Amino acid sequence: MSAPIDIKGFTNDTLGWKAWLDVVSLDAATPEQMAVLEESHPKAKVSDYYLFLVHQPEILKQRSVAFNAIMYAPGGMPRAERELGATVVSRINGCVYCASVHAQRFEQLAKRQDAIIEVFNEPQGAGTTPRERAIVDFSIELTANPGEVNAQSIQKLKDAGLTEPEILDLIHSVAIFAWANRLMLNLGEPVFPSKESS
Amino acid sequence: MVDAKQTDTVDRLVGLTTADQTFQVRHQRDKVVAATQGSENGLFDPTLDGLTVTERLYVALFACVLTPAPELTKEYAERLIRLGADTEIIDFVLAGALENIQSPRLHTILKFTHTLITDPVKADRHALLALPQAGLSTPEVVTLAQLIAFVSYQVRLVAGLKAMKALEKSA
Repeated sequence: MSAPIDIKGFTNDTLGWKAWLDVVSLDAATPEQMAVLEESHPKAKVSDYYLFLVHQPEILKQRSVAFNAIMYAPGGMPRAERELGATVVSRINGCVYCASVHAQRFEQLAKRQDAIIEVFNEPQGAGTTPRERAIVDFSIELTANPGEVNAQSIQKLKDAGLTEPEILDLIHSVAIFAWANRLMLNLGEPVFPSKESS
Repeated sequence: MVDAKQTDTVDRLVGLTTADQTFQVRHQRDKVVAATQGSENGLFDPTLDGLTVTERLYVALFACVLTPAPELTKEYAERLIRLGADTEIIDFVLAGALENIQSPRLHTILKFTHTLITDPVKADRHALLALPQAGLSTPEVVTLAQLIAFVSYQVRLVAGLKAMKALEKSA
């Protein structure tokens, strides 16, 4: 439904992901581990990522509650903009897998892909409207230099029309991808579909 | 006034009380507030097998030193002191002097922390496999990765909320 993007190693293709260490096998999973998998994601039982993280079920459970509440809760910042923030953070951190997933979500929610093409090309200054550019700038700043974020950084978001609940949602979206990218990047690697089948 | 017994770490470190607009905004997302504290509690749970609480606190401290995140650096250093951790090691971590850390296990753990905090894309297969080679079990590797990743989240949440509060106070 959306045109394929392949820019500087980043893509909106559907990628797989495989763990570098042993995952929990469903046969050996405890009832607690099964329950946490079911709560975490509809496809968690066939995902290396969740089957690896479920080695520590309570930690995965809390992470999944935080992640789902940040990315999917109603109200506040439009979900497409949360996905834009997530994509910018993943682009800055170099997480090709996370960038592909959240680029797709942005495209599905916003029904366009112009902002994603800009972010993949060069995140600095990307964004198709002043509001999008403010979101992208703040996402870069909080990702790269969290110690330098200050009142003025927030004022710029307000000047671009963001309300305080929207600003909170953006802070959450950026922060949760500092977390997500570090798991996806350091515990395994993306699996690319073969060129012949695409 | 901020209540020292306040159980929400992020509110306490940002200095948020019910009178603050930023507190009101944050607590409209109560599930996120609860799961953020729940994650911290889970990651530092003394009954969790594997990495000791002291090892986990050294990791969190080092992550905050590298970010840098002054409030959280102070917080994790104080928790280590309360636990009776070796003040010489705390000082090495605060100074980033990993070469002075004698324990090969702690050295490997903190080296991994450095890579994942400062340049996550360099945290590749080779970097990960150094952990089992240093004797960490797979569940310990999961705890360590989640802990470093959580602190990366926590420092940005605190930084963002501090900035919101600073703007509120300047208005």
